[in-house]
This record gives sequence, C-alpha cells and structure tokens, in this order.
Amino acid sequence: MSKSHPVDKVLVSILARAFRSITDEMSISMEKTTRSPILCEARDFVTGLYDSEGNMLEQTEHLPILSFSLSPVCRHIIERFQGNIFQGDVFFHNDVFSFGNQNNDVAVFKPIFFDGQLVGWAACKGHQADIGGAVRGGYNPDATEVWQEALRIPAVKIIEKGKLRRDVWDLIFANIRLESVPEDMRAEIGSCVVGERRLVSLIRKYGVESFEAHKKALFDATRRMAAAEIHAIPNGTYSGESTVYYDGRHPGRHYRIRVSVIIEDEQVTFDFTGTDPQTDGFVNGTFASTASATILTFLQMISPDLPHNSGMLEPLRIIVPAGTILNAAFPAATTYGNHLCPAIADAITRALAPAVPERVSAGWNHLLCSLSTGPGPAPGDTYVDILFMGLKGGSGALRGVDGYDHIGMIDASGGVLDQDYEMFEQMTPHLLLKHEFLTDSAGPGEFRGGLGVETRYRVGSDETQIVIFGDGDVEPGFGIEGGGPGTLNHITLHYPDGAICRARSLDLIRNVPAGTVYVQEAGGGGGYGCPHNRPAETVRREVQNGIISPARALADYAVAVNPDTLELDLTETRRLRALRGEGEDAHEAPAE
Amino acid sequence: MDRNANCPPAKTGIRSAAWQTAADQLGDMKESFKIGIDVGGTFTDFFIWSDDGNTRALKVPSTPHDPSEAVMEGLAVAAQMEGLALQDFLSKTASVVHGTTVTTNAVLTRRGARTALVTTEGVRDALEMRRGIREERYNNRLQNVPPLVPRHLRRAVAGRVDAQGKEILPLDLSEVRELANYFQSQDIQAVAVCFMNSFANPQQEHLAESLLRETLPRVYLCTSSNVLPTIRFYNRVSTTVLNAYTGPVLRDYLQNLTCKLERFGFSGILLIVQSSGGMALPSAVLEKPAATLLSGPAAAPGAAVAFCRPYGGSNCIVVDMGGTSFDASLVRDGRVELKNEGDIERLRIALPMLDIVTIGAGGGSIGWIDGGGLLRMGPESAGSQPGPACYGCGGLQPTCTDANLTLGLLDPAFFAGGKLPLFPDLAAKAIEQHIAIPLEMSVEEAAAGMIEVINNNMTFGVREITVKRGLDPREFPMVVAGGAAGLHCCSIARHLEIRAVIVPGHASVLCALGMLLADYQHDFVKSVMAPLRSFPAFYLLAAIDDLAQQGESLLQRERVPSHAVQHEVSFELRYSKQYHEVSVPIPWEILKTDDRDEMARLFHREHDRLYGYELSDSLTGIDLINIRVRSKGLTAKPDLPRCPWGGRDPGAAYKRHRSVFSPARRCWEPIPVFDGHRLAAGNQIGGPALVERADTTVFIEHGWQGRIDEWGALLLENIES
Repeated sequence: MSKSHPVDKVLVSILARAFRSITDEMSISMEKTTRSPILCEARDFVTGLYDSEGNMLEQTEHLPILSFSLSPVCRHIIERFQGNIFQGDVFFHNDVFSFGNQNNDVAVFKPIFFDGQLVGWAACKGHQADIGGAVRGGYNPDATEVWQEALRIPAVKIIEKGKLRRDVWDLIFANIRLESVPEDMRAEIGSCVVGERRLVSLIRKYGVESFEAHKKALFDATRRMAAAEIHAIPNGTYSGESTVYYDGRHPGRHYRIRVSVIIEDEQVTFDFTGTDPQTDGFVNGTFASTASATILTFLQMISPDLPHNSGMLEPLRIIVPAGTILNAAFPAATTYGNHLCPAIADAITRALAPAVPERVSAGWNHLLCSLSTGPGPAPGDTYVDILFMGLKGGSGALRGVDGYDHIGMIDASGGVLDQDYEMFEQMTPHLLLKHEFLTDSAGPGEFRGGLGVETRYRVGSDETQIVIFGDGDVEPGFGIEGGGPGTLNHITLHYPDGAICRARSLDLIRNVPAGTVYVQEAGGGGGYGCPHNRPAETVRREVQNGIISPARALADYAVAVNPDTLELDLTETRRLRALRGEGEDAHEAPAE
Repeated sequence: MDRNANCPPAKTGIRSAAWQTAADQLGDMKESFKIGIDVGGTFTDFFIWSDDGNTRALKVPSTPHDPSEAVMEGLAVAAQMEGLALQDFLSKTASVVHGTTVTTNAVLTRRGARTALVTTEGVRDALEMRRGIREERYNNRLQNVPPLVPRHLRRAVAGRVDAQGKEILPLDLSEVRELANYFQSQDIQAVAVCFMNSFANPQQEHLAESLLRETLPRVYLCTSSNVLPTIRFYNRVSTTVLNAYTGPVLRDYLQNLTCKLERFGFSGILLIVQSSGGMALPSAVLEKPAATLLSGPAAAPGAAVAFCRPYGGSNCIVVDMGGTSFDASLVRDGRVELKNEGDIERLRIALPMLDIVTIGAGGGSIGWIDGGGLLRMGPESAGSQPGPACYGCGGLQPTCTDANLTLGLLDPAFFAGGKLPLFPDLAAKAIEQHIAIPLEMSVEEAAAGMIEVINNNMTFGVREITVKRGLDPREFPMVVAGGAAGLHCCSIARHLEIRAVIVPGHASVLCALGMLLADYQHDFVKSVMAPLRSFPAFYLLAAIDDLAQQGESLLQRERVPSHAVQHEVSFELRYSKQYHEVSVPIPWEILKTDDRDEMARLFHREHDRLYGYELSDSLTGIDLINIRVRSKGLTAKPDLPRCPWGGRDPGAAYKRHRSVFSPARRCWEPIPVFDGHRLAAGNQIGGPALVERADTTVFIEHGWQGRIDEWGALLLENIES
C-alpha cells in the first residue's frame, strides 16, 4: 500500500458520500425483497462496507445493536480463511462465540476483489425469523446452553468462487424451520452483490492506491472529530450502575451492571469490570452486543454529524471481563443479550450525567416484548411475528427537547418500524383492537419523556404461542435533573373464559385460544428538569389532547385545567406553582 | 380595475364558466395564445405560445402571500409585450396551464385548513406516530413532525370491517352525528374519513361521509376509499389527511384566480398540473388536491423529452438546479417515471407522482468545514435573503454561487442579465475565511473544491433515480433545466459517464414550457389481493372496466374527444408473502387474451431488473395486489419553435475571453465567452467555453463539444471518451 500517495481533501469528502450511498442501496435491496416482516416491515437488519482488513467504511444501521459486530467478524474471517479467500466467495456467520452478537442475526460477508486483489468486503446482517434450536423463532427462555437456542454457524464458506456449496447450504437449512429463511438469506447475498458492484466501479474510477490513501485520510478525519467530541468532556472517571431484573430461571434474582467511564483528553474507556457474573439462563450478553450497546449510547451524546466509519471508534476503548453477564463464556445461552442494551445505556448515562448534563437523555423505556407464532390466516400457513408496534415506548427527554413518543427501545433508536395495521391483519390471524398513545405514560419534566403506547389485539386462531421477553416491567425510564420517571410495561392475556394471565418476562405461553385479548402497555421515557418549569399552556394543550390527565397535570405539573372545559385555570396554577417554588422536587404527590 | 382585488369567496360550490369550459370550443378562436405558468419559490415563470408559432418567456418575482398576484402581474407584462391590453390579451388566450404550489406551501408553512379526522376506534394516533420512525438514529434532538390534525380533533367512532372486507361491527350512526355537531362547533373546515380495511369495503366510510355532509354541507370532506383505496393504513390515513388539509386552500385559491382571470376577459380553459405531470380541470383536481402536492417540478420532464426526440431518443435524465435545491428525474420510453408513494416534510403521501429526487444543492448552498476538517456543501442554503456573500446583502457564508464567481465562471456584471451586480471580493473573502484558511489551500483551490463536492452530491442525486432503480445512467442523455444547472452539467455528466447533455434555450423556464406539452391525466387504483393465476377473469376485467369508466367520465367532463382517450393498465404484483410490490405495465393485447403466463413473465423480468433476481423456476406464487388505470386525454402539442440557421461559426456571438479557474483542471486559463442570445442553429463551440444567457450560464468544459440545434438547444457531447 502506498503511504506516499497524495491526498486530495476534496476526494475524501467525495468517497465518504459514495460509501454512504452504497450501503443505503444495499439496504433498499433488503427492504424490498425480503419476506419476513421482521426484515421488510420492521427493518431489523444492517448493511455495511469494510476495507480489506475489515475496518468499517460505512454502515446503514436500521438497528444499531446489530451493527458493531460486523467489523470484528470480518477480521475473524480474514484471519481464519487466510490464503483461502477468492473472488466470488460468500460467507455465512452467526456464532456468538466468534464475535457475533445474537444467534438469530445471521450475517453474509462477501469479499470484493479488484484486479485480483482483495480490496474490501460487503456485509449484511438481518434478524432471521428462525435459526433452529428448541423453539420456533429462536427465543428460548429455558435455554441454558447455546445449542438449545440455535444452530451455530461459525464462519462458513457457502459459495466458493461463484459456485454454491449445495451440501453446506442443505446442511444449514435442514436445521431451520421456515422456508422463507433461505429466501431471505438469498436477499442478504443479493444485497452484498449490490455493494460489491458499486465499490468495484468506485475503485475503477479512482484506482486502488488512491482509494487506500483516501480511505485512510477519511478514518483520520473522523477520528479527529470523535477525539474533539471526547475532549469537550471534562477529564475524570465517572461511574454508573444499573440492574438486570430477570434471568428467566431464578425469580427475584438481580444482576448489577457496573461501568467506569474514564475520560482522558481525547480518549474514552468504558470499563465494565465489577459487573456481575453470567447467568445460567439465556440472559447473557456477548462482547459484541455489549460493545454495540456502548457505542450507540455514546454516539447519541456527541455530534450526529460524525461520519460513520472505523475512525470514529479509534478513540473508544471497551473492557468487558469474560464470564460476566455482559460477556458470557462458552457455551452460555445468550439470545437475550441484545436486550441488555437498555440497562447498559442506563449505566453509561448515569455515569456521564454529572459530567455532561446537557448531552445525556433521561432514561428510555425498557423492553418488554412478545413474539407470537401459530397458524396463519390461510390454511396450512405458519407465521412468526415480533409485535414491534406494541413494544415501542418513549425515549428519555434531554435539556431543551421532549422525549420522542413511541420510538421504542434504545437498541433501535427509531430505526425499527411498526407493522402496518392492515398488513398485520393480512399476515396474522389477529384483529387489532387498539394501538394508541398511552395517557400519563410520559415522565414529567420541564421537558417530558416520550409517550408510550397501548396495544390490544384479539387472537384469531387456536394454538397460538407467545414468548415474552424483556425486563421493562420492573424499572421505568428514570428522570434527570428533577424530571420524573416514565411508566412501566405490562403484558396481559384475557382468555375467552374470563381468566386473566399477567405475562411475566421470559414466559413461553402455549396454546393461546382464539378470542383471547392480548393487552400490552409500553411505558414512556423519563423527564428532564423540574415539571413546574414546563409552560402551563403546553401542559393544558396536552391535557386537551388527552395524553396527560387533568389529575396528573395538577399533581405533576401544578397546572390546573378544568376537566370539563379543558381551559387553564391560570390563577390557581400561579398559586400552586408559587406555593411549591421553582426547582422543588418535582414528582412528589401534591398535598390535597 | 385592480388586478389584485380579491374575489369574494363563492358561497357554495364553483359556478365559474372557466371551470367547465369545453376543450373543443378552443378551435373557434382566431388568434390565440396558450400560456404555461409555473409558480416557484423565487420566481413565477411564464411561457407563452401564440398560434402563429411565436413564443415568449418571462419571469416575475413570486408573491408567496397570494401567488395569483404574480400570475396577474406576469400576464400584464406579457400583454404589454404583445402590444395588447390585458383584457384583449386574455380574451385571446385559449388556455392557461398552471402549476401551483399553494398546497405544497400550505403544508410547509402549516397554513392549511383546520382539519379533523374521523377514524376507527383504537387507531387515531397512527397519523402522528408515523409507524414509530425517527429518521436519524443517533440524533436525540431530532423531534417528531407535528401532525396536521391535533389529537383532540382525531376522533374515533365504533364500527369495524375485517381484513377480508366483512363488516363485523356496524357503524355507530349516532356517534357520527354527534361528531358532526362537534366539528361544527369547533369551526372545522375540512374532515378526512379513514377506517380500517376500507380498501376492502368502503361502505362505512361512505355512510359516515353522507352523515357528515348533512350537518356540514360547506366543509371539505374526503374519504380514504375515494382518495386512495389501497391497503396500508398509515399510507392511507396520511394521504387522506393531506388531502383534506389542502383542499380548502386550493379551492379558495382557484376560485380567486378564476375570478380574476374572468374579470379580465379570460374565457378559455384553465388547467392545473398534478404531481404525476398530467393536467386536469380545477373541478377534478379539487377532488384530489393532495395530487398537486409535489407538482412543482412535475412539468419539466415532459418538456425535456420534447428536446430529446429529435435525437431519436425517448429516454433522458432531467436535472433541475435552482437556488436551494436540485431535482433529478427520469424519462423512459417517452414516459416520465412515476412512483406511487413519497414524503413531503416527513409525511407520507401515497399518490402517483413523478419519481423526482430532490437534494439540498443549489446556487445558495453553503460550504462549511466539519469537525473532522472535511469540506461539505449544503444542505443549508443562503436562500435569496441574505443570499450568497457576493450579492452584498449581508451574507457572510460562502456559497456555490460565490465559488463559481471566484473561479471566473460567472460574470459579475452580467448576472441575471446584468440586473444584479455581484461583488467578487466579498465572495473571495467568504471562501478564504471559511474554507481556504482552514483547509490550508488557495482561495481558487478552495472554490474549486466546493464545486467538486457539490457536483458530487448532485451526481448521487442522479444515481438515486437511475442506479438504485437498476438503470444505467450512461444510456441516457441529460437535459438541463433551472438557472443554476448550466455551470455544473458537464461535470455531473462526466462523473456519471453520460455522453450527451442538452440545454434547451428556455432551460430556466422549462417547467412553464412543459405545461404546454402536458396531457390530461387521471389515476385510479383498486386493491385486489388475490393470486394472479386463479383470480377470475370476469372480476379482473370488471375491475379494470370500472376504473377506466371513472377516467372516461372525468375526461368527458373535460370534453376530451373519445379518440384522444387512452387507458393504461398496470398491475402491482409480488411473490407470495413478500411485502412490497413491483408495478408492471400490462399491454391491452395481453389483457384481452387474458394471458396470465405472459403477465407473470413480465413481472419476473421487472423483479430481476430491480433487485437482481427472479423466481420463475420456483413454485413461489405471484399475488396481484393492486390494479391501476391511468386515463389520459392526449392533447395536440404545438411544435417547438425553430431557431434560424447560422452555420458552424459562432463568431457572431463571441463576446470576449475571460480567465477561468477550471475545477477539474485546477489552473487558470483564458476561455472564450459567447452571447447565448446571438447563437444560431448550426453554431459549434468547443470546450472550454462559456455561453451566457440572461437567465443562465453554461460552462462547456474541456473535452466537450457544443452545437446549437434547430430548436435553439445547446447540445453538448463528450468527445474525449
């Protein structure tokens, strides 16, 4: 590689734009051709481009939690297949013990050659609707080892020099339940072909040497930008903690996540030493899922203009001791690992809040989610659906900005979409009864948390099976600087015979009969700042819109709204607010 | 008479002659004009065609508070140029084709009607939730778009239809009546009705509409099953609400405009351009005002293809660069590429619209250095106030126009035909301070870098409409529109390896010109959701017939003679269990013989083109999701005006040599400048050279050869590759 190739600063900008356009194109190809609603409706996938050493050039991240394991796996493949990587090869990978993040997130890697020389990689990773293991859909709360969860796919060459290794293909898909999965894996390969074609034509235009030199300059520029962002945070060691409430096996057992965030000039270290040991269930993180959670939380605290490549990661160091709940040792079950993200984000946010109160958001709503499978609407059909529309609660507020309503888990940050209601009713046997903002769910504050939602559907066929996961039914999104917490999540089943089942996290509920009403609440995010500083007229408008009740307006905001006319009682509001004084603890119940 | 005196709003409906004027009456006029009027953000453009073959183009400043003022002003100027009183001029005007942005502006500025939504119990927040998307993953400060209907005006009523269209809960009529009274008390101006699964059974929507109508006879009402009878609730509710929100605004505007035109003797036909590029009578447009939301640039491609046709081509890429934005669109086989959904201000609109990609790149785009030291251009624009630094109106940020001026590509004394003097020293200073010093470059290198970056951004805009749709841009000539594109077109073409660029003589008013070449057009859709193979032929043909009938009756109302009516059918198909459809045009021969194999084959081929694979060899079924019918009323197109012949030598138009710093070559060199108004057909100009017209400057770069064709267009060819 030529170190002396002259660098044209303008060409660096041009390449950065070109890389983004390529990964966007790869992403459109996935969205338009896949069949699982988890991929084409919710967009639970990521597409990326890497250099010949596996460094990230760009990624399109609909779901950030999948994202930051692609580069490490790419390096792993390069090392493992050294001397055995050819033009036309395609690799599969999902193994969490070789840098993968979750079993269901199956990646495709395609090496890209130019003039016979390896110049880069295209990759795509999506949440596949099934990956073998004991339970259809992959979430097996009873798992204690990886083999009970999934088929492990360590880096495996599925196409060599353009020729499909049919035997390997058959071996893999013989162990996977749904026929749509091989089709959706073909779509992942298609997406990588799109990336390959476009990178090759880009390199044809500028030449390999120029591409290499300018790519490095882009990494440098991005690293400088990230370093400057870190430099703006006061030096110091900041500590934060959070709790994981379930392990699926021992009711009541808690696990602590502990992080020290060490800011040293232009370098930041996230050290998770002190975090509790791993569980014997499937509530365990992998290094990849923990690193992704850490990175995405940090990215939300710095400038959103940062270009997106491996340069931005250079000033970051992440230490996660093996054998902890955030980096479980082989052969632990780990399917739940992605969903430790909210707890990891909380710990980091709590740590950095004192250092940069203007950058952190209050706590986001945690995850409580269901995956249902069963007979589809057409005879002989089977469907698998994660109820994304139901799980998306509110985000935490920031100084100056209310939280985002119904955005969903921080792992996705608004990249995962609701099913369209009518498509939901076409593709599942269920009837949607309600999907609306949840009144009084937002954490009160001068800037309120994002709203949660309430979802209800009537189950449309017998033998429906529902898996519940997440621990968002224990701890609400926390408030900051005097803001109050959001609300909790719940899932209940109202059986046709009148019985009510309050679903617990990690339940696997079989044989749910038709006519059962499924009810889910996703809570709001935490508020920021004293609620008494929120303009009374804003609160009144929210009462008029039915997202705050008159009672909570009075209790949380000291705003008196006439419940019949929905008009503001300004005198009473002034009196109440004067009584409490500004800055007083906001979320205490009013003395009535 | 005061041109701008507003007409009192009509009490009920629309009773104006111009709205119902027959197209076939036009033949009676002895001398007549046809006028295209395009309202833009900065200027309102006019193109006037008189039937003796003369044409005239002009621009007047837009009047955003009431766009009809600029329309009347421009018409007065045009009349003067024709040596006629406005009354005489308008009485001789056979037709006015009008592209309006009043609906677009109503959404952008949130000054639409006070709108309410009636919807199914349990889903009233879908409009605001937008399926829970936040467009920027890592930007916690990005907020949701405020909904066009606040929550307290989004009201649910009991009643339910299931996914197959079966009514499972009757509509609660008393609830609807109560709502009607409530809306009346709240002074609601427009109501949208959108119920779950109404694409499969619209009866409850129609019932609700008629009940509301009883109490609210003057309120603008629309149902989702009329506006967009297709599956996907969010698309439907968002589109229907946009329709209601803009309906009264468009109605008032058109009433006012019609009244003003008639007062000054206009008795011709007024036609409105839709987002699909087709035109329709005001009364038809008012049934679907949302179909005008993205009509701004919709007429340009039609004009572009007219300039390509002499070269045997019916394919082209159209690029339109103005002050703040860059639009790219595509014409294939003489048809403008359309898409069936898009967004305006992050709000979904799912009606046929030109497939136009808009990016924030224009003459006013601001150059800046990001935190990592990289040069960026836009999307921030200096707009017209304060404008680029070189305007001398207080702008301090360096813009694309400043860079072009610094490089010598613009003549400071001849911008806008000399009406707007530019200050090169202010441009250079802004670039030096904000770009050159931080990047440790000379001012001209910095300016050249700015141009290269913005050209690159625009290149990706073109890629979006070609490569991302599985098309190779190299196979298309590029037609240039808008005042700012001429300086950048060679470079964009070179990046895309496009060999031919066409700059029409009236490039800067191409949209207004295109309006005079538009056809009547109405689009209809019906959701089917059935396997393609087994869907009974009887139902298939009945559905198509029903849609075509609707088109037929609208076109009849527009008095389009039956021989000029044409229906185009397309199917939206997908492999069983896919979620997204591919739109496939189905020729009439295939429909007549009901050849399902051929229909399937067309689908496989299109899927392969778009996504690189097809599944004809597998057992996977194909589902027919929607049937679309586009009913067109073809109009007679005037011939493009000819340009007199002047031989190869452009010497008569030569002005002088000017020193220019070419962004691609990075050096100063003197290059010839020609007066575009004096160039004649046959003139040939080798690059590098500049062609200056009052409204635009074209930079013919090294390696390009220019020729004026017989329609006065500048044809540029890359002779290097």
